[in-house]
Amino acid sequence: MSTVCRVTINDRVVEVPAGTLVTDAARVAEVHVPIFCSQHKLPPLGACRICVVEIGVPKLGPDRQPMTAPGGRPEIAWMPKVQTGCTTFVTDGMHVRTESEAAVKARKGVMEFLLVNHPLDCPVCDEGGECQLQDLAFAFGHDFSRMDEAKRTFDSEDLGPVVKKEANRCIVCMRCVRYCDEIMGDDALTAHQRGVWTEISSFNRQPLECEQCGNCIEVCPVGALTALPYRFKARPWDLRQHITICPYCSNGCSVRLGVRGNEVLRVRGTEHRGVNQEYLCVRGRFGYEFVNHAERLSAPLLKLGGALTPAGFDAAVAFTAARLREISAQHGPGAIAFLGGEKLTLEEQYLFQKLARGVIGTNHVDARTRFTAPVPGDGMLRATGGGRPLLTFDDLTRVQEVLVLGDDLQGESPLAQAQVIRGQHHTGLHLTIVHPRRVKLARPKFRGDHLAPTPGSELAVMHGLMRALLDLEEPEGLPADVAKGLPALRTALAEWTVEHAESLTGVPASAFRSAAERLRGAARKAVLFGRAYTEHPQAPALLQAIESLGWLSGALTAERSSVMYLGPQNNSQGALDMGLTPDLLPGYQPVAEAKGTYGAQWGRELPTERGLTAPEILRAAAEGKIKALWIVSDHWLKSAPDRALAEQALERCELVVVNDLFLTETARKAHVVFPAASFAEKEGVIVNCERRLQKSVRALTPRKGSRPDWEIFQAVARDLGASWSYRTAEDVFREIARLVPIVRGLSWAVLLPLGPQWSREAAPGMLAASRDGAPPAGEGLWLLGGGVLFLQGSLSSHGDLLPKLAKRARAFLNPGEAARLGVAEGEPIELAGPSGSLRLPVGIDDGVPAGAVFVPYAYPEVELNRLGAPAGAGLRVAARKAAVETIGA
Amino acid sequence: MSTERGPLLFKDIDTPDLATLDVYRKGGGYDVLGEVLGNKTPDECIDVVKAAGLRGRGGAGFPTGMKWSFVPKQTPKAKYVVCNADESEPGTFKDRELMEKNPHLLIEGMILAGWAIQSHVGYIYLRGEFEYIQRILDRAIADAKAAKLLGERIAGSDFRYDIVTHLGAGAYICGEETALLSSLEGYRGQPRLKPPFPAVEGLYASPTVVNNVETLMNVPHILKHGAAWFRQWGTEKSPGTKVLSVSGPVERPGNYEVSMGLPLSRLLNEQCGGMRDGMKVKAVIPGGSSVPLLPADMLDTGLDFESMAAAGTMLGSGGVIVIDDQTCIVDALYNITRFYEHESCGKCTPCREGTYWMSEVFERLESGHGRERDIDLLWDVSDNILGKSFCALGDAAAMPVMGAIKHFRPEFEHHVQHKRCLVNRRKPERVQEPVGASA
Amino acid sequence: MSRTNPPLPREPGAGTPAMPAADRTAWVSAELLGPVVTGDKIRKEMEQAVQRYPNPRSAILPVLWILQREIGWLPPAALQLAARAVGLPEPEVFGIATFYTMFNLKPVGRHHLQVCMTLSCSLMGADRLFRHLERKLGIGHGETTPDGRFTLRRVECLAACGGGPCMQVNFDYRENVDETQVDRLLETLK
Ligand SMILES: Cc1cc2nc3c(=O)[nH]c(=O)nc-3n(C[C@H](O)[C@H](O)[C@H](O)COP(=O)(O)O)c2cc1C
Ligand code: SF4
Ligand code: FES
Repeated sequence: MSTVCRVTINDRVVEVPAGTLVTDAARVAEVHVPIFCSQHKLPPLGACRICVVEIGVPKLGPDRQPMTAPGGRPEIAWMPKVQTGCTTFVTDGMHVRTESEAAVKARKGVMEFLLVNHPLDCPVCDEGGECQLQDLAFAFGHDFSRMDEAKRTFDSEDLGPVVKKEANRCIVCMRCVRYCDEIMGDDALTAHQRGVWTEISSFNRQPLECEQCGNCIEVCPVGALTALPYRFKARPWDLRQHITICPYCSNGCSVRLGVRGNEVLRVRGTEHRGVNQEYLCVRGRFGYEFVNHAERLSAPLLKLGGALTPAGFDAAVAFTAARLREISAQHGPGAIAFLGGEKLTLEEQYLFQKLARGVIGTNHVDARTRFTAPVPGDGMLRATGGGRPLLTFDDLTRVQEVLVLGDDLQGESPLAQAQVIRGQHHTGLHLTIVHPRRVKLARPKFRGDHLAPTPGSELAVMHGLMRALLDLEEPEGLPADVAKGLPALRTALAEWTVEHAESLTGVPASAFRSAAERLRGAARKAVLFGRAYTEHPQAPALLQAIESLGWLSGALTAERSSVMYLGPQNNSQGALDMGLTPDLLPGYQPVAEAKGTYGAQWGRELPTERGLTAPEILRAAAEGKIKALWIVSDHWLKSAPDRALAEQALERCELVVVNDLFLTETARKAHVVFPAASFAEKEGVIVNCERRLQKSVRALTPRKGSRPDWEIFQAVARDLGASWSYRTAEDVFREIARLVPIVRGLSWAVLLPLGPQWSREAAPGMLAASRDGAPPAGEGLWLLGGGVLFLQGSLSSHGDLLPKLAKRARAFLNPGEAARLGVAEGEPIELAGPSGSLRLPVGIDDGVPAGAVFVPYAYPEVELNRLGAPAGAGLRVAARKAAVETIGA
Repeated sequence: MSTERGPLLFKDIDTPDLATLDVYRKGGGYDVLGEVLGNKTPDECIDVVKAAGLRGRGGAGFPTGMKWSFVPKQTPKAKYVVCNADESEPGTFKDRELMEKNPHLLIEGMILAGWAIQSHVGYIYLRGEFEYIQRILDRAIADAKAAKLLGERIAGSDFRYDIVTHLGAGAYICGEETALLSSLEGYRGQPRLKPPFPAVEGLYASPTVVNNVETLMNVPHILKHGAAWFRQWGTEKSPGTKVLSVSGPVERPGNYEVSMGLPLSRLLNEQCGGMRDGMKVKAVIPGGSSVPLLPADMLDTGLDFESMAAAGTMLGSGGVIVIDDQTCIVDALYNITRFYEHESCGKCTPCREGTYWMSEVFERLESGHGRERDIDLLWDVSDNILGKSFCALGDAAAMPVMGAIKHFRPEFEHHVQHKRCLVNRRKPERVQEPVGASA
Repeated sequence: MSRTNPPLPREPGAGTPAMPAADRTAWVSAELLGPVVTGDKIRKEMEQAVQRYPNPRSAILPVLWILQREIGWLPPAALQLAARAVGLPEPEVFGIATFYTMFNLKPVGRHHLQVCMTLSCSLMGADRLFRHLERKLGIGHGETTPDGRFTLRRVECLAACGGGPCMQVNFDYRENVDETQVDRLLETLK
């Protein structure tokens, strides 16, 4: 059987790979075959029957050779019945007829059946205008008036705050039910009853217990499931549609904004484009309210006489420039630091650091404001193999083994989670989850292995895994420079037997071994990590360990395998690429070599000594060594690892400049506040965690008084005497593409919406492990931070729906711990750390390990950094029932 | 020894306590296990069944030996034998009597089928209403195990086989083999895509043969007496006997085992003693409600797969429903159509919506609001279901209606014109005047 | 135009029957489930059912049967219990339970009269029999007598066509039941 099949569809011949479905072959041949129940991420179902076609195969003669009719055309044996194209795979020489009498009658018949019980309420249906059933009905132009009997009717119902169900419109294609189960892993939806009474609903019609992602709405081909937030807001044809990049996590999903006037009325997936196609998580789909929020800043603010007062843009720019000039003159450029920028576009990130280095002349630049330990600018790059090509999200569904280190993908990287679940369901991908809590992917449903180390023993776990891999036979295909590190690594891990690791982590030795065997054994594998390890106090050692694990397991050498860093913000990767780090210039060029690289280009002497990292800047500013701070797109008081220090820093600084959409607490403390344009109001490139460059578009004109950050940077730079003259963000990108090696030669034109992934000749890697790794001793409960699905930063909290879904912030304890503290669900407890305390209602969750408390940090009112540094893992707190003290208590 | 009711399966079906192990064994039950297990190779067994020409008794009439031979020989997976005891085809009640009175024959048949495909566990899927049959079977299974005729080292051989009974819960579709497997696996009882066919990927995605109760009960006899002996009954293409369930207003309704090929008329007149109180036959549904009916003038058709096909209908499951001349065909078909509307699983559009629509049209005809075009509409809706549905339930709903319109169009037209049945003894309160007055 | 006196009911009835809202923890306390929750015997029986199959989910029908036998019907809490027993998501179990017609999602009377209305029985007078029962008991299809003694239901072919008209009283087959016989039968059903 040939791997390429010649298929004739209505006398159009196409060549498609074997294993292609007839419906897909038809798309290639540009022959329209309608589908309803089939969805490209779900296996064939063949239920709705709308895709019926006539199919024939070449007649074989006695010599098993295709027979030819007079005229040389092959003789075709047509199947007696029409077949469903969405379930039939092509074979070489297959013939397909979509317009023959039989095919057309069958299709019209099915169409007519679909309308038998379908109400004629298109005028009041939210789907109207983009309804596949409506489109088809028109396409046929067949009047379906033969059915004039009573229709079967159901009541409509709300399945929670997001999904509105109009069961009468349902055509039982089962897309929603299957998507919910096989992609989201939620099984919240099910079919009730049977036959004509089949109805999609939840358990006993209760509100859906799920991620509220709304993908069931997305895949519904009719108006049976619609979005409550968008209900009756608009008709699709009134909306301008703009496809751009989601402002939230680092997965970089393409979102389709539905805009009317200057307002975003809804967000949808893109059907067949982007890394996500139709998929969106709840944040991406419903987290757009902030764009049009009333509290958006509408004018620059200057602190005059202690109070922030509106000012003109030019005045604000002039003031800022003047103060920077003075401070620089007085204390030297080293007294000025630039923080944040993970949410900026690539162009803005480039200009932000160019402003710092090329205009002010300081290397105190760091976007990684949450980090608790100084991490080299290429720390994450090295851990992921130094720039080797990364897996695509599509390939992620086809790997055999996925190791997730410390991240809860549900909260941090929803698309990654969906791809992994899809892979688990359809290609038998196996999961190994390393996480102290029983996160979603660690549930039995996903048949993975859950390594639940005692909090604080993250490094010990890594050592255990490395040792287990070393105990297997020599890894193959190691680059020479890496391989030579093996002996040293062996000695470093000499006493790190898996049994020893077990004693420190509580993870059974056998679990280390089987995880190692699975990783090594799998032909294709992926290792995923994120902020849980990068914001860890032992981050440098952990990152080195992740790299070594990558080499030992083959994740960095095998085909179609990767170690991937899932950053916290949508452009975290871009920030690293553009040198928003104190030691590296754009494209990971050492500041020491600045002279030969950007120095020449930017026409200025560049500082060549490494600047301070974010945690160092924090301390220096608190001690008064840093006099001026420019904080961009970052609520620093909340993100900095130590709240007390951060407040002190803002107090002591002579100049604090903040760019933001809202007047955050951080902004309140500033001397200058620049209102920034939102993601929907500016163009630029966003780099996701696959290192894929995707261009975002401008769907709205910037909110009155706000500007894209790059314009603000340019205005200040010019006032400081720089000769910048970028007319558009594209001008900036042209410069980037000219100067920065990793993206050299690219242009905006090629970057939408599924742009290329950058990669490069990998820098030499290395194998190493720090000898220590024992979890720090201490008293009290381990404080576990972590993301939540429904919230991410100040953007998400400026709206109604997401905060409503997120409910109140809580501190989660496992039942035993709660009993020990004598607290019940909802009762308040007080968590006391070295430098502060926090009062929260308790949530009971048996997925939280004993001896720990889980506090999702995304809630505005949750300020873990009040408790004391470091806010990430590794902090211990005293917990007690918050109640009136009684004698003896 | 009671009077023989049939040549083969019914020969001694009425023997008192046949359901008990020792009575069954006195009649030679389980003897063949010793002769076969370990002595005849699986392939030899399959060949005998092929030579005997045994065909499925569940409806499709597919050659059983061939079905078995599709099961892959080399496979790491477990293999399964599933007995389809869902018996829910309207008009059919043979499996019920067979299992109630002779459970051990089924067990023996399953063991042999298990040997033939080298399976070690079999499931009997019973319709939910057969709860008491499950108790009978479980009892028999326990006795057989105690006697080392089931379980480990059966009848001294080193073949091991186990049987589990599984009770459905009310769904006709679960008689369709793939829907049965879905139900048995704990899903909603909806059919699955074919291919892959159960013989390759069935229960738990493992090779599985699904056979009807009567089919399996023939197997011990065939392996005991050989193909030639089995072929003394029936026709060349439809060898053996068939148990027919006769219902409707005949003198003696019930199950009858006949040699295949016997004319339908002889079954009705001789064995069933003709019609009750002077009624005449108007039409007969020969193979369960899923098949087109035969008008009275075609009653000489032979009771075998080929003759029935030639007559434009099917032997199906052998549920013979006799419709008398005092019954309204439209009303009868309405009843059948409602059945399929009720039993449609809802997976595919044509069956789900089409059966509903047909019932609505019938309803209108029945209630006297019928229109001329409704008859053609019924035909066209049926035609749009036929061959378009996911599984054969859709066809089963469409074919009888099309058959009825073909043979009895005038009666439909009368319904439209006179706004009521031509005759209808079933619904006295609907027809005011004396029966037939309007004819 | 709605259907006049349909020979067969629109079952499964108009959508999923309204059930008391499921309290996620109801099954532990609910006296509905008393027999199940208190009786280790039944717990064990359900576990054995699960043991009989290579894949636990296969036991969902057996487990639901056990629960219905014990409780008489299947309240949401019972479905949750079943879901736990076989390790299926609760919504899916709800979908399964409503797919089949023999699971009672509403309480039923002590004697569940299930009258076959399909063609063969209909030819032998099932329609008259059913109307007779309706009049006699004063209840219609799917209804239960106030004293909780009888529930009346039209059902599909019971595989007793030769003995039409026939019905099942709970699981017991009653064949060739005409009006006079059924009256006598009702007497015996206390
Ligand atoms: C809608 C439908 C219902 C069926 N019901 C039954 C049934 O109740 N009993 C049965 O044995 N076969 C039934 N069948 C046939 C089975 O699908 C399958 O062909 C049969 O069990 C195979 O066994 P056999 O080859 O021994 O006949 C049904 C088929 C369809 C399409
Ligand atoms: S024909 Fe379709 S709806 Fe009908 S039973 Fe088969 S699959 Fe279900
Ligand atoms: S799209 Fe092919 S059957 Fe639904």
